[in-house]
Amino acid sequence: MGKWWSALFGIVMLACLGMFMVAPFVPTWWLPEGVSTHSGQVDALFYIILYITGFFFVLTEALLVYFMYKYAGQPGTTPRPTEPAAQGGFYAMLHRWFPDAHRVEVAWTIVPALILLFIAFAQVPTWLEIKDRSRKPAIGGEKTPIQCHVSARQFEWRVRYPSSQRLRNWQTFTTNEKTIADFKSFASFDGAKPRHPHLDDVPVVNEVHTWKGQTILVQLNTIDVIHSFNVPHMRVKQDALPGRTIPVWFTPTKANTRYNEETKRWEDAFNFTTGKPDMGYRWEIACAELCGWGHHRMIGRIYVHENKADFYRWLEHVEQSQAPPTKPQQKVAAR
Amino acid sequence: MSSSQLHVGEVHAHEHHELSFIHKYIFSTDHKIIGIQFLFTTLLFLVLGGALALLVRTQLAWPHAELPWISSWFLESNGGRMTESFYNMLFSMHASVMIFFVIIPLLAGAFGNFTIPLMIGAPDMAFPKLNMLSYWFMWPAFILILVSFFAEGGAPAAGWTSYPTLASSSMPAGQGFDSPAAPNSGHGQIFWLLSLLFVGVSSMMGSVNYITTIINMRSPGMTLYRMPMTIWALFITAILQAFALPVLTVALILQSLDKLLGTTFFLPPAGLEFANWETGPGGGQPLLWQHLFWFYSHPAVYIMILPAMGMVSDIISTFARRALFGYRAMILSIAGIAGLGFIVWGHHMFQSGMDPRLGTGFMIATIMIALPSAIKTFNWLATVYRGNVQYTAAMLFALAFVAMFIIGGLSGIFMAATPVDIYIHDTYFIVAHLHYVLFSSSLLGIFAGIYYWFPKMFGRLMNESLGKLHFTLTFIFLNGLFFPMHILGVAGLRRRIPDITNAVLESPLVSLNQFMTLCAFALGVSQFIFIYNFFYSLFRGEVSGRNPWHSNTLEWVAPSPPGHGNFETIPVVHRWPYDYGDYGSIDHLKQTDPPDPSHPSGQHH
Repeated sequence: MGKWWSALFGIVMLACLGMFMVAPFVPTWWLPEGVSTHSGQVDALFYIILYITGFFFVLTEALLVYFMYKYAGQPGTTPRPTEPAAQGGFYAMLHRWFPDAHRVEVAWTIVPALILLFIAFAQVPTWLEIKDRSRKPAIGGEKTPIQCHVSARQFEWRVRYPSSQRLRNWQTFTTNEKTIADFKSFASFDGAKPRHPHLDDVPVVNEVHTWKGQTILVQLNTIDVIHSFNVPHMRVKQDALPGRTIPVWFTPTKANTRYNEETKRWEDAFNFTTGKPDMGYRWEIACAELCGWGHHRMIGRIYVHENKADFYRWLEHVEQSQAPPTKPQQKVAAR
Repeated sequence: MSSSQLHVGEVHAHEHHELSFIHKYIFSTDHKIIGIQFLFTTLLFLVLGGALALLVRTQLAWPHAELPWISSWFLESNGGRMTESFYNMLFSMHASVMIFFVIIPLLAGAFGNFTIPLMIGAPDMAFPKLNMLSYWFMWPAFILILVSFFAEGGAPAAGWTSYPTLASSSMPAGQGFDSPAAPNSGHGQIFWLLSLLFVGVSSMMGSVNYITTIINMRSPGMTLYRMPMTIWALFITAILQAFALPVLTVALILQSLDKLLGTTFFLPPAGLEFANWETGPGGGQPLLWQHLFWFYSHPAVYIMILPAMGMVSDIISTFARRALFGYRAMILSIAGIAGLGFIVWGHHMFQSGMDPRLGTGFMIATIMIALPSAIKTFNWLATVYRGNVQYTAAMLFALAFVAMFIIGGLSGIFMAATPVDIYIHDTYFIVAHLHYVLFSSSLLGIFAGIYYWFPKMFGRLMNESLGKLHFTLTFIFLNGLFFPMHILGVAGLRRRIPDITNAVLESPLVSLNQFMTLCAFALGVSQFIFIYNFFYSLFRGEVSGRNPWHSNTLEWVAPSPPGHGNFETIPVVHRWPYDYGDYGSIDHLKQTDPPDPSHPSGQHH
């Protein structure tokens, strides 16, 4: 009778295991396709941990279920074998502190320790590459990231781009110290407010644009509470912290935005491989840190244009539509 | 040692007069009564926390459902639907209640109080009046947390973690302490802060008492290495709590000052700009709260599991009729988890803006916690190996603890790995992980403990058939509820979302959430079996006698229930508590059984 309990455990654990085996094949039940240069590394680390933990899950649960079956109410058990006391060497030393130590315990301490150390150190390069400020993309030349400022607030992402002219200037081959200083001045803040705002800065709301293959450096801050800049498809997540500006960067490997000649608008959620609209290509910035009652609908979008030309076409379009009626090239705006 | 024994004996002798009802059952200094008081009050809060959880689940599964009864109860209306701030309040209070008013006081307060003196052979705690005070300090906390529901603007809705500046921002006193971050609310947060201060003081008094009692009041022969795992776990937990709690207390006071007196401990120098209000300049750091809070609350995670591990170790050994495998390794791994537990708080803050290089250190320490956890798991398995397993309700819950702790332990490695955490941080994956540890492990351990010690508490056995039915339904439905949360997290469902139909990754997950909510309701209904069984057995259960489980530890030597002073004579301990099986005609050797050369103890020396 008691043996049946092992069946209950076994069935429930199999159902759990089955769910994890089925989920990757259900379209919306698994990791969304990663579309940034580092998403592959993050996913690989996820799968390494998944396989290792999956193995130990099966091993330990199977042993538990088997022992529950095998040793259910067995009167007159066989005595546990005792090991002869070791004379000298490692085990004798071990037994001084652990009189009841068993050889198998040494094995199941050292093997998991090595596996865990491997898991831990395998994370370090990827982590530092993504997050460490000192490894920020280099400024200067064509590889210079484009830069935008995301100011989070309840409950939207206010985005500020530099003018297209300034952005182009940062990316020219002949980057001089003045350009670099200008690049840095864009990311200089007094609290959450830009210290050197330009009148021709381009403000947009809830949309961050870049183009395929182009690194974007997001200067992230918040004016009220903690928010979290979370772009699951790019494997990006960074809290916006009141009083601090935190640089976040990613490089998309795919585009999702095309110019619709008929509507004269840019539309995202477009799959260029199949040439069709595809909801898997809507890449959202969904706030991931509780920020108040509107937290759940604090959602922006990432627009990745097909190429540089289309991106600048968009930026110039926004510039024109938002240009102040008079004196567009005023010097630094007063705050 | 002997002088303190004598002293306690004297005090005991003076107290042999009949106590009035109030002194015996209400303002009692008897550790057993205090433990039972903790048990009853925390089980009541478990019902409250569970009800809040079911409301959360309802909203997740049917986000647009009209629930007119909610608006009529709580005077909040959104066209008959649940408002977002009401939902935020629900999960904030569910977590606060479950953590601070259920799991911690159940393990430390109820089981700590009840088992420690009985299992070490002491007549009572070292400081019985302090012990009584530690229970009665919970009452202001109970009242404050319940009052917060009726505060203007409702109970706190900033999460149980209460991160500034969402939780801490407050308009000046002249404008009524409203929170600019959550208009028309913010008063509940003040009650929450004060309530937790009382919980902290209560826990601190308990910890000091447990540590002193275990060090000073063990009966003759009860050396440290003869203490049952339950006591070892409670001992280490008490130390953990005593060192971590002051930091939480400081954090709570700082946030209270920010809210009430307008200090700026968590307000950045440049100040903040809310839609309707601008704070002046501050001088603090919002991240400071996270460091202080997690410096307590991460050890608190272990406070919420280590005692259950200890109890489960004793229960498994008893019902497997087998010596606990690797006794010293079990002690050392609990100490290891507790020790590492102090240097891993930063793993809650990988994406918070803390220096990422610091995150690397926290990650390595965190991943290494899996090692003592793995050792414990292997030891439990080895204890069952070649055992003579008796499937009582207590044993089933204890074995389920092991099965579920494996899941909760393994899923923790994903979050500990910093790059993987970028994706799964603040998704349902972490919700799955913490529920596997807190509900599926700790609470199942608590159920095991209740079924196991019920006869000692009340002198009657709980009904085994009902217990097994309760177990079966609980085990099935909790997995139906919590396991899919892993999938939700991997699919990208954020936590703390009142309406999951907004985001592109979340909206396809509604039907899975509906399945989970049905399991949640079934899980909730299954608990009525336990409630019925508990109260039925309290009055009508089979009389248990002293030692219904043929167990070795000292509490089973005392009468059931033990009288005032616990033992008729102070028990003398001759062996460790795990001499089961292996002795031919003798099934087990109690700790008080004298040494017998023909039946040597299984403990190596």
